[in-house]
Amino acid sequence: MALSPLVVPGSASGERTAATAKSKLQAASAVTSSSGTPNPNNGPPPGSGGADLAEQMNEDEKQKYIKGKKLGEGTYAIVYLGHVKSDPSKLVAIKKIKIQEDYKEGLAPDAVRELKHLQELSHPNIISLLSVFSSRDQNLNLVLEYLPLGDLEMLIKDIEGVRYGAADIKAWMGMLGRAIWFCHENFVLHRDIKPNNLLIAADGGIKLADFGLARSFADPYRVMSNMVITRWYRPPELLFGARSYSGAVDIWSIGLVFAELVIRNPYLPGDTEVDQISKICALVGTPTEENWPGVSKLEHYAVPAPATPIQPVAHYNSMFGTAGAEGVDLLMKMLILDPRKRITARQILEHGWWKSEPKPTKKQNLPKKGGGLEKLGEDLKRGPGVLDDERGTKVARKLDFGSMK
Amino acid sequence: MNSSNVITEDDRYRSSTQFRLWSFTPASLLALRSTTNQLAADRVREAVRRARAREAQSSADASDADPESKSRATSTLPEGELDCLTVEEELKLIVFYCRQTLQLGKHLNLPTDVNATAVQYMKRFYTTNSLMTYDPATILRTALFFATKTENHYYRLSKFAEAIDKTKPEDVLASEYLLTQGLRFTFDVRHPYRALEGAVMELCAIAEGAIPNNGVAGEMPRNMDYRCKVAHGTAKEFLKTSALLTDVYFHFSPSQIMLASLLIADEELIRWYIAFKLGGLQNAMAQKVLGTLADCAQMLRTVEPQMQSPAEESKEARTLAKKLRKCRNPEKIDLVALQQTKRGGDNANDEKILKKRKLEREKVAQEAGDLFGPGLKKP
Repeated sequence: MALSPLVVPGSASGERTAATAKSKLQAASAVTSSSGTPNPNNGPPPGSGGADLAEQMNEDEKQKYIKGKKLGEGTYAIVYLGHVKSDPSKLVAIKKIKIQEDYKEGLAPDAVRELKHLQELSHPNIISLLSVFSSRDQNLNLVLEYLPLGDLEMLIKDIEGVRYGAADIKAWMGMLGRAIWFCHENFVLHRDIKPNNLLIAADGGIKLADFGLARSFADPYRVMSNMVITRWYRPPELLFGARSYSGAVDIWSIGLVFAELVIRNPYLPGDTEVDQISKICALVGTPTEENWPGVSKLEHYAVPAPATPIQPVAHYNSMFGTAGAEGVDLLMKMLILDPRKRITARQILEHGWWKSEPKPTKKQNLPKKGGGLEKLGEDLKRGPGVLDDERGTKVARKLDFGSMK
Repeated sequence: MNSSNVITEDDRYRSSTQFRLWSFTPASLLALRSTTNQLAADRVREAVRRARAREAQSSADASDADPESKSRATSTLPEGELDCLTVEEELKLIVFYCRQTLQLGKHLNLPTDVNATAVQYMKRFYTTNSLMTYDPATILRTALFFATKTENHYYRLSKFAEAIDKTKPEDVLASEYLLTQGLRFTFDVRHPYRALEGAVMELCAIAEGAIPNNGVAGEMPRNMDYRCKVAHGTAKEFLKTSALLTDVYFHFSPSQIMLASLLIADEELIRWYIAFKLGGLQNAMAQKVLGTLADCAQMLRTVEPQMQSPAEESKEARTLAKKLRKCRNPEKIDLVALQQTKRGGDNANDEKILKKRKLEREKVAQEAGDLFGPGLKKP
C-alpha cells in the first residue's frame, strides 16, 4: 500500500464528517494500518460514517496479506510481490488492476472476465486466485499464487540455455491439456492460449494464466466476438469471421504451442491477418468446401489461389518427427481445419501419445530457467491484447515483439 | 461421465462461488440479514444525529446574517424519532425492487440471463448492505449494467443511461464499485435455464420413444408429449420470476430449482420422470430428492410468478418505500459525490489528477529500466 499512487493527499476533505462513529464490528478490527501513507482519518474511509458489513469483509481480506516490492507495471496492472501476514514464508503475487483512463465504462471487461472465471476455476494447472480485495482508492487487488520461474515462451526461446526433449514436451503438453480440458468441462473458453500465458511454478508445473479474454460458452443463438486469440495462435474459423464457435478454438492454439515447443519457433507467425491465413494455407492446407463443408459461407472467407492440399503426414514427420508417430498424429488432429472435426480436449487426454514411449518427465525434473521475479511481474501485468467482445473495434492484437529477444 | 476419476457435476457445483460463498441455511441467512439491518439502523441514527447537529450549528450561525437561510437548512432530514425498517420490511421491499429490475431489463430488451444475474446481484448485495444505506432504485440500474458485462451482452454505458429515465452515466457507475464489493468480487451466477432445456429435451425424447421407457416407473404418463411442452412453459415462467425473487438460489442448486419448478407445473409427470431416472420412488435417494424438491417448490410458491407486483404487494411496497424515505442514511444519498471523494478527487480536481497521473506514467516509463521498480518508501 505504501506505493499506492492514486491517493491524492488532501482530497479526502470533500466531506466534513469528521465524526467517526465506530460500530462493534469495526471496532473489533479497526487496526487498519498496513498502509504506509499517513492518513489522519485512519478508520473508515472519508465521507462514510463507518464500515458496512461488506466493507468490513473486504478489510478482513486485505489484512491477510502484506504487499511487498513492485515487480512490474503495465497499463493494465501493477504487480507486487507479497506474502501472507501470518506466515511470511508464503509468497504471493498481488496484481493491482489500474483504473483505466481511456475506458469510461467502469470496471474494464478484461478485469471482469479474469475475476469471474478465476474465482470459479480451481485446478493444479490453472493459476490460483487466492483472494481479492480492494485498496482504499478502490483499485482491485488480485492475490495470485506465486510462480517464480517465468513462462514457457522463455524456455522455448532460450535455445542455448535450456535443453529439453520429447519427454519434457509431453509433460508440458499433458499439463496444458488437462488445464484446457478443465476449462471446457466448466464451459469456459480461454481464448488466449500461447506460450507466454503458460507460467511455470516453483515445482516445474505449468499454470494457465491470463483469463482476460475468457468467457463462458454462449447459448446457441448468441454470437461471440471473433477478435480474440493472439494472431499466431488464432484458428482459421476466427480469421474467417465466425461468430459462433466452440472449444475447438483453444485446441488450435494448443496445437500451435505443441508445434512451437518442438521446433522452438512459432510455426505460423503471420504479420497480418491476411498473412496469417496465407501461412495456414501453405503450412497446414487451404480450407475448402471439400475439407470443411460450409467454410466458404463464413463472412471473411478468402484464401489465396491455387489451393494447397492438406499437408500429408510426411510433412509433419519431417518437421515434428521428434515427437514420435503418436505425437505427430495428435498434432495433426489439433490442426484439423474444420473445427467440427478437430480433436476435443477430452479426446486429447485419451490419445495414444500419452501411453507411448517416452513417458512424460516428472514435473520436478523438468528443465527450468531462473526467470525470476521480474518475469512474473511481466507476465501478470500484461493486459489481454485484444479487444473486447462486442466492443467492435477492428484493431488487431498487437504482438509483443519487444519481449522477443 | 461414468469413470470414477472424473469430477462429477455435483463436485463441480460445490467448487463454485455460488455454493461456497452464496449458499446458506435459512437460519444463517436470516442471522446475516439481521446483523446487516441492525448495523444499518444504528448507522442511520448516528448519521441523522450528526447531520441535525450540523444543521443546528449552521442555521444558528446563519440566522444572524441571513434569516432566510434558516428555512433552507431544514431541508431533507427526517424529523422526530427515526422509525427504521425491520428485516421483514426490507425483504418485502427487496422483492419489489427485484421486480423493478426485471421490468427495467425487459424495457431495455436484455436477455433472460442478464436480467436473472442482475436480480441475483441485488439479492446478494442486500445480504450485507441495507436498503436504508444504499438506495435500491440506484443499485438496480448498476446491477443491470454490470450484469451486461459479466454475461457478455455488451451495452454502451451512454446508451444504457439514455434508455432509462432521469439517469446519467455517472449515476450508473457511481455504485459499481460498491456493488462488486458487496458481491465479494464473485460475478458468476449459475442459473437453471440450461438445465430446464436439457430435462425437457429428455422428457420429449422419452415421450416420442427416442429414449425407450425402461419400465421402472411403470407406464408412461398419458398425453406425455403435450404435457412436456406445457410443463416447459410453466416452469420457465417460474424460473424467470419466482425463482429469482425468492431465496431459492441461496438454498438450492440450479438443478433442484429447475426440477421443483417442473414439479409445480405437472407433479404427476415429474414424479414419473424422477422414478424413471432413479429406479422408482421408494429408494432412499428418490425420497431425499422428492423431499428437497418439495421444500424448494414450497418456497417458489411464496412469490407470484409474474414480473408485475400483484396489487396487494405493490400497495404494501408503496407504504414501505414511503417509510424508507424517512430512514435513509443522509450520508449515503449522493453516491456520485461519495464515489468522487473515495476515488480521491472531485470534478474541480480532475485536471490536476490527470496531470499527476501523467507525471506518474512518465516516471514509471523512466523507471522501466529498473527491473524492481523504485525503492520502497519506509512507512
